[in-house]
Amino acid sequence: MSGQTPVPPKAVGPPAAGGAIGDMPLEVIGQPGVPFVEIETLRAREFIPAAKEALSSLLKEQAEEKLIRPVFNWAGRNSLFPLHWGLACCAIEFAAAFGARWDAERFGVVPRSSPRQCDLLIVNGTVTWKVAHKLIALFEQMPEPKWAIAMGNCATGGGPFRTAYSVVPGVDKLIPVDIYIAGCPPRPENMLDGILQLERLIKERGE
Amino acid sequence: MKTSELAASLTAKFGGRILGVDEFPGLLGRVRFDPAIATELFRTFRDDLGFVHLSMVGATDWVDHREVFYALWSDTDRVYVMLSTNLPPDAPTVASAVPIWPSANAHEREAWDLVGVRFEGHPDLRRIFMPEGYAYHPLLRSFKIHEPEDLEVKVRSD
Repeated sequence: MSGQTPVPPKAVGPPAAGGAIGDMPLEVIGQPGVPFVEIETLRAREFIPAAKEALSSLLKEQAEEKLIRPVFNWAGRNSLFPLHWGLACCAIEFAAAFGARWDAERFGVVPRSSPRQCDLLIVNGTVTWKVAHKLIALFEQMPEPKWAIAMGNCATGGGPFRTAYSVVPGVDKLIPVDIYIAGCPPRPENMLDGILQLERLIKERGE
Repeated sequence: MKTSELAASLTAKFGGRILGVDEFPGLLGRVRFDPAIATELFRTFRDDLGFVHLSMVGATDWVDHREVFYALWSDTDRVYVMLSTNLPPDAPTVASAVPIWPSANAHEREAWDLVGVRFEGHPDLRRIFMPEGYAYHPLLRSFKIHEPEDLEVKVRSD
């Protein structure tokens, strides 16, 4: 570059007469007659702020991916708050799981009384069409991220009442279900196993 | 009171509108009546014959007609009587028994919900088992189970 006589750019297309090269429209760059130095300067001028922004957003993304989300995932999956909502006989086993013998709270599972404090809906019992819209309303009130467990045969697929006119044949017709627990009713151990499976699922998905 | 005495007193008052009074084991009798005289018949049973308690209202779909039946209890005679009436399936309407026996309220809502019998004069004829907005009467013979699988129809949106 040193020692060269700068060649004035030839006008290609419609460059503004007497204007700096930075004011040239981008289509002109790379056309024959436009000096390389000026093009490099122009590119650097545009590139550096964009690169800075890209780098900082990349760092932000990286920090979110590698640091913040794993911590939230770990904290969330180890403190699942199910809604304290009993529907049928499975609710007895649900309640027993939080008693002294099985003590679900050692896994950080604490039933809450309001759906707005919950992130886990355990549907424990037969869901009729009449209660279906209440179930949907409860699930929609829960803040994200949220999960649902269908506990027992009735919630999973209608159970022995599958062909009844008043029973929802499987609660996954109403809400997205993550874990299905078989049994009529499932023992508290089964329910705890389902919750631990859900924790594994949350870890795998990285939610 | 014997079944024949009941038949005689009812026929004397209502004539041909009483379609028959049958013997029935365990009951005073089974009275088949024209739905047009329902309210007067109910009032006669409560005020003149002493059947102060309505213990049950039910309905059945027999395809060519729908039957509505009432079980009445008399405290003085300590006996049940069954009333029965047949309704056409295209217009299954009968007068409500709620003004005479308030206990008919929930029973008639059930009969409306499941069999689709309309009770004229009922104060609050809503569905009782199925959600509001449900399009079917599921104990009708024409009802197909799980058909159609239309969640919008089955789940109330509000």
